[in-house]
Amino acid sequence: MAGFVQQVVEGLGAGAIYASLALALVLIYQFTGIVNFAQGELAMFSTYIAWQCVAAGLPFWLALVLTLAVSFAGGMLIERVIIRPVEGAPELTIVIVTVGLFIFVNAAAGWIWTFLIKDFPNPFPGGALEAAGVSVSFSTLGVLGVVAAVMGLLYLLFQHTKIGLGMRAVATNPASARLVGIRVGRTLALGWGLAATVGAVSGVLVAPLLFLEPNMMGGVLIYAFAAATLGGFDSPLGAVAGGLIVGVAETLAGAYVGVIGSDLKVGVPLVIILGVLLLRPQGLFGRAVVERA
Amino acid sequence: MSATKVVTEPAPVRERRPPDPRWRWAGLALLLAAAVYAPFQLVPFHVFQLTMVLVYAVALLGLNLLVGHAGQISLGHGAFFAVGAYSGAILLDRWDLPYPLTLPVAAGVAFVLGLALGVPAMRLRGLYLALVTLAIAIFLVPLLKRFEAVTGGSMGLTLAKPAPPGWSGLAEDQWLYFLTLIVTVAAFLLAAGLLRSRVGRALHALRDNETAAEVMGVRLSFYKTLAFAWSAMFAGAAGCVYTWVIGFVSPDSFTVNLSITLLAGLVVGGLGSLSGPVLGGLFVMFVPSISQDVNDAAPGVIFGLLIIVVMYVAPTGLAGLAARLAGRLVKKIPRKE
Amino acid sequence: MSDLVVADLVAGYGDARVLHGVSFTVREGEVCAILGPNGAGKTTLLRALSGVVRVRGTVTLGGTTLAGRSPDTIARHGVAHVPEGRGTFMPLTVEENLRLGAYVRRGGAEVEEDLGRIYTYFPVLKTRLKQAAGSLSGGEQQMLALGRALMLRPRLLLLDEPSLGLAPLVTRELFRIVQAINAEERTTVVVVEQNAHLALGIAQQAHVLETGRIVLSGTAAEIRADEQVAQSYLGYRV
Repeated sequence: MAGFVQQVVEGLGAGAIYASLALALVLIYQFTGIVNFAQGELAMFSTYIAWQCVAAGLPFWLALVLTLAVSFAGGMLIERVIIRPVEGAPELTIVIVTVGLFIFVNAAAGWIWTFLIKDFPNPFPGGALEAAGVSVSFSTLGVLGVVAAVMGLLYLLFQHTKIGLGMRAVATNPASARLVGIRVGRTLALGWGLAATVGAVSGVLVAPLLFLEPNMMGGVLIYAFAAATLGGFDSPLGAVAGGLIVGVAETLAGAYVGVIGSDLKVGVPLVIILGVLLLRPQGLFGRAVVERA
Repeated sequence: MSATKVVTEPAPVRERRPPDPRWRWAGLALLLAAAVYAPFQLVPFHVFQLTMVLVYAVALLGLNLLVGHAGQISLGHGAFFAVGAYSGAILLDRWDLPYPLTLPVAAGVAFVLGLALGVPAMRLRGLYLALVTLAIAIFLVPLLKRFEAVTGGSMGLTLAKPAPPGWSGLAEDQWLYFLTLIVTVAAFLLAAGLLRSRVGRALHALRDNETAAEVMGVRLSFYKTLAFAWSAMFAGAAGCVYTWVIGFVSPDSFTVNLSITLLAGLVVGGLGSLSGPVLGGLFVMFVPSISQDVNDAAPGVIFGLLIIVVMYVAPTGLAGLAARLAGRLVKKIPRKE
Repeated sequence: MSDLVVADLVAGYGDARVLHGVSFTVREGEVCAILGPNGAGKTTLLRALSGVVRVRGTVTLGGTTLAGRSPDTIARHGVAHVPEGRGTFMPLTVEENLRLGAYVRRGGAEVEEDLGRIYTYFPVLKTRLKQAAGSLSGGEQQMLALGRALMLRPRLLLLDEPSLGLAPLVTRELFRIVQAINAEERTTVVVVEQNAHLALGIAQQAHVLETGRIVLSGTAAEIRADEQVAQSYLGYRV
């Protein structure tokens, strides 16, 4: 039993990371109806910025703040420069553009920082909390705590600020939002900035667990997609729940389903994506009809 | 939205001034003659490079059916390429099948797999199809490593390349080149025939307007699935030829990067045109090999930027650009009435 | 003075021109009805005024040029447009919908005060503040849309077919409220309506639009009195 609980805890730790990247994906989808295939790469790039700051001698938390700020600005800039021209274009065009962005950002990071792996400092202390035969590392607790905090901040932003209200208005009815005087273009850029920031958090959380290298987020992205699909692409809460479920499902499948083992775990998101899309395309928390004006 | 819209539909160049079919045939004959002549003039390494261009062109031909003609997104076509490559390799390795027979089998396996995956996948909206195909491409690598007994695991399989028959007097690289050229020409003829048939018209109807296509009586899911399967078949055939040419398969040759590179090549070469896959093949082959000297990351930087720029300024890719330029040239030449 | 002046207004979608040079003036505090058959360009006219479609020509409100500006800028100049289909933010609550109406305004106290005023106009909304707007009935949604528009404290209110899809009693109530608002707040109103009788009941002036041109203008009384006009242009018997 303790072994099972241990697996669940570890699954939640992994799931929290998927959740944070899924949250970034969902933020952009809500505002623009775009699934950003480059989201993971942007997160990776942000992580390199953090690494660079730390390497330059900045204390970790200051480096983090700086990274988040740069990511926010970068996200807004990308929306303005790269996404705006294809807004309203067919889905195929937009997907291809974000795939282009994926390739570009990945390669740019490789160019700047080479493809050699780098050590990334773990902001959380080593060691673990032990209770009833289950040990929870501080690192896992830290990851869960950070994701909960991000979720909480987003909730405050969306539910209790005027900007957040405006953003939700744009997400539900851009034409009408424009008529009440909301600067829709600026709001969309804000959404991308926010998503890039949340993505940066997930990158910084992943890096100490894996190693920092340009392809670091490639594996995480597919789990984040599964999480967002499971939770519903239009539900931030769903993305987090989906991420945790995917993390736990993956860990349990790897531990208890012999055929899968640790090497075929990456089949889990595929099964989840296919299953959800065929059985309940809107996801667990999504709205059934996602017609956009 | 006030922003300029970018549309993936081909520019109406062809409608305005259809090229004289005689010129077209002459051009193709010339191209073919050059293709036959080339291996006798080039060093073996360059012959090999050209061979790979053709291999990629066949795969892109398949991807083009799906993306360019049916308007569906696949981020996992490398998986079908891999399936074809491994089918060929396993047949050669375990059953010692004569290699010409591996091609139809590999293509058939990919077709059936495309059909099987196409049935659920085609119930999905475009975006989700991209997700699912991406997940498949990612999943394939560990899957190949797992079934080591058949696939050779991480080490892969090493095979003897088809030997040139004595009567031909060709070197190995030339023989492989001509084998590939034959497959390529056959694939192009097949694709061209397919597009001219009812299937092709149905696919275009799908791409341009799904709802209208359905109203017109095009059985949406049927043709989508079929497009997926055909497209997988071409990729599988290309994969099989790849095995012949390289003589080695391993999971790490078929990572998700291959899928993404294929899509990139097709977009740059030209979606929805028949010459797009060849131009795309040239790109997939030569951009990395040339730019890698500058930096390992240079191919990615170039590809990434090119894709984005192409989607903005020339959604029909190089092929479309060339057609537009040709159209402009033709206009400038005064015609005798 | 905050008159609305429209002169030689040309507008359309892409290459399809819908309005071919429309000119009229609405004096501050007056209600102007735009009548006409389906497809005459009434909705497009409102969209042109609020900047949703691109225009050529003159649109000024109290001397400020509106033509050529974006919808959000025009809203910031005090133009509230209740669009066709009401523009409700369906998943948001009723209160959030109303607050969005005041999005461009500063000053919390005044906004709270205005919310109170809206509840006196539309008591039913007050009972549904925390409900998703999408769960309201058609009539309630129309009231919500009107309330949202008023939260801007508009100088100019544009109403597109407020009666569409509503029961006659609800429609009558709605027009009574529009009239009250116009009287109390001195808001200039341009209302597009199929139901000419109702619109003329609250308007001082009216224009009949047909295939993108104004074919008849006059006071509400004049238009109403012209039975032949009513029959040929409005398809409506007086």
